[in-house]
Parts: sequence; structure tokens; C-alpha cells
Amino acid sequence: MQSPERTAAGAPAPASATAAPHLAVRPLPEGRGVTLAGEVGLATRAVWTDVLAEAVEGGRSAYVLELSEVAFVDVAGAEALAAAARRLETGRRIVLHDPPRTLSRVLEMYWPGLPGIEVPTP
Amino acid sequence: MSTVTEPFVHPALFYANTDEYLAGCVPFVREGLERGEPVAVAVPSYNLELIEAGLGEDAARVRFLDMQQAGRNPGRIIPGVLRAFADSHPDAGRVRLIGEPIWSGRSETEYPACAQHEALINHAFTGRAVSILCPYDTGRLDERSLADAYVTHPVVIDGAGRHSDSPAYDPDGLVARYNQPLPAAPGGIRLAYDYDAGTLPTARHRSVAEAAQLGLAGERLDDFALIVAELTTNSVVHGGGRGTVRLWSEEGRLVCEVRDAGHLTDPLAGRRPAGRDQIGGRGLLTVNLLADLVRTHTGGYGTTIRVYLAL
Repeated sequence: MQSPERTAAGAPAPASATAAPHLAVRPLPEGRGVTLAGEVGLATRAVWTDVLAEAVEGGRSAYVLELSEVAFVDVAGAEALAAAARRLETGRRIVLHDPPRTLSRVLEMYWPGLPGIEVPTP
Repeated sequence: MSTVTEPFVHPALFYANTDEYLAGCVPFVREGLERGEPVAVAVPSYNLELIEAGLGEDAARVRFLDMQQAGRNPGRIIPGVLRAFADSHPDAGRVRLIGEPIWSGRSETEYPACAQHEALINHAFTGRAVSILCPYDTGRLDERSLADAYVTHPVVIDGAGRHSDSPAYDPDGLVARYNQPLPAAPGGIRLAYDYDAGTLPTARHRSVAEAAQLGLAGERLDDFALIVAELTTNSVVHGGGRGTVRLWSEEGRLVCEVRDAGHLTDPLAGRRPAGRDQIGGRGLLTVNLLADLVRTHTGGYGTTIRVYLAL
């Protein structure tokens, strides 16, 4: 079950300094994962946790989050990701492509080496 | 007659010179090593060298931390230094530390946070088999710092090694005494922005843009984005739904102030390390771990938090 496009606040807004909070989700081919664009914060938490729920429940051994267009992830967003990764059975993982530095920083602070998360070096 | 003995031991050590420092610190460390206790020393770098030299070969069995780095933000010391070490030895019968958070270079802006930190150690470790010795340089610290050490430590050890109970011991009173309105911001406010749930991202974008203008860059700019996000999101979720963020520079530091209608009633908020499986409780903790200094004024009238980052 995958909806083609979801945003928290209508259509994706341009990434300007006064952009409305948004997080756009586009599926990757063959259900490999999703591409996200925008920011993860209080207003977009529900979209983010839906994506993570799909990553866990979809059953794939590797679920890709393409994050090159995500500018910011807050601490609760990182926490939701870590919680999702911990729910994966051994061997399964969430693969983060090009995560924003805020996300890498918080993961490194609180969950270094979490087995369910893979960050390939570009 | 039976008495319940508090297992947490938290004496201040008053020293006037190097000999008194070593006479107080080195036997404290050695006693721990002899009993098989994990021992850490977190003091300013110039004192680290003294203790290390004084211990000789035994120094290899001690964890050393430069308190001027690891503890430059006093709010970081409990979660990031003291409990980080104590909690990493859950099977130890007792864990022993030397923590020197107050040195003569601490500024007037930093000091109230230092004193509150010393007071809150008592709450943070109540009931735990931990010993923390806190050295105070009587030759260089002012009278207020030394008087406050009697308020924040149940026992004070003098330069001759004599232990005495402190009749002034009153950590809660000290936390309240330093919970004062923060001094007026200097001129040159760069940003004053009222936010609510709908404008949280804008509050962060504008704060980060101003911080970049003032010269904050690289990873520290990302750290600042996280700090602003946590403080402003707290306002929306716990602090009345809205708040005001202000930003300026002061004595080579970026200052970001967040004010809202919330009341921080938990004195250890942001000072408990987060367990790996814990959900929540990382907002103020993240602010404390990343900032160079955090000052707080809180009450029924609202909360003001100022975060300082070196430029």
C-alpha cells in the first residue's frame, strides 16, 4: 500500500526561508523505498512516522530513504527512526542515502552503530 | 538503632596550593583503585597534568577528561560526564570521580549555571553508590564561590584533610536563589520573532540565517539548528503553544534566547542521560550536550532559556 505523493501541508512549497512546513514523499521504483523532500519537524512528524512504519512493515530486507532533498531532521524525528530500526528483525535495515547533517549528528550522539541503520558512503 | 546511610558521597575539597591539591586528590583516586572501583578525573587541563603525574603508573587505570572542554557548559556535566561514566559501570560496587567544574576563569555569566550544577549533582545521584570529590581553589576563587560550595556539598574537606559537615548545606535553596531574571540583553538585537506551531520552521530558518551572518559555521551551525528546533518546539508542545526567539552576539558568543509561558518544574530536566530505548526526554538534553552555556529563568510566569555558542 503506497500512496504516490503525500505532504503535510498541501503541495510541496519551495524551499525558501518562509516555506510552510512540508515533507513530500515519492516512491522509488519497485518498492525499494521512498525519496523525501522537505524537513522533518513537529508539523511533518506524521508523514515521517508513516514512512517509517512502511519501512518496518513492508518486510523488505533493505528499505531506502533517499534524503538528499531533506534539509533538516529534529531530535524526535531521529528518535522515531531509531525506534523503527530497532523493530526490524536481524539482518533487515533502513538505508539512508545522503542524510542531512542534523540527522547524522543526533544518530551519532544517541545511537552510534545501531544495527538496523545503514548509511552508505557516497 | 538503625540509620539509613545515603550511599552518595559528595565532598568539596578546599585547596590553596598544588601540595594540598595532590594531598586531597591522589589518595582519593588510589583508594578507589585499590578497591577495584572505576575512577574518572574531570578537572581543568592544568590540574589533570598534576594528578596524572602524581599517580605515576596508576594513571593508566584512570579515565581523564578535560573539564574545560567536556564541562564548559555546566548543564552538560551531569549527563555527559558524571552519569555518562557512572552509568557505563553498572556492575561496579561503587564509582568514584573527581569533578572540578568551577575554576577562576569562569565568567559572571557562567557562574550561576555552575553553582546550580553543583547543587543538582546531589539530586542526580541520590541513592547511588557513587563518590564525587569537587576541588575548589581557595587561592583564586572568590568568596561567593567558596560560600556556595558549603551550600552545595554536605561535607567540606580543608587543606589539612579535615572533614566537616556543612551546616549551610541547602542545594534546593541554592537552585532557587540563582533562578533570577536574566540580565537585559545588550543593544544590537539581530532577531526578535514570535512563533507558534505554524511558524516553527520559519523561527529556525531565520535564527540559523542570523547565526550564519554572525559567523557561526559548519557543524556548529547544524548544532544550533537542532538547539533552536528543540527549544521552540518545546514552547509549542509544553510552553503555551507559542514563544519568542531573540538572537544577538555578546563577548564573542552567539546568544539565542527563547521565552515562553511554560514552567520547568523538574530541576533535572535536560540532565538525565537518555537510554538507547528511551522515547522522549532528549529535547533539553540535546540543548545541554551541544551548547557552550545554557542559562535558565523559570517560574509560574514563564520560562526564559538563553543558549550561548562560541563564535
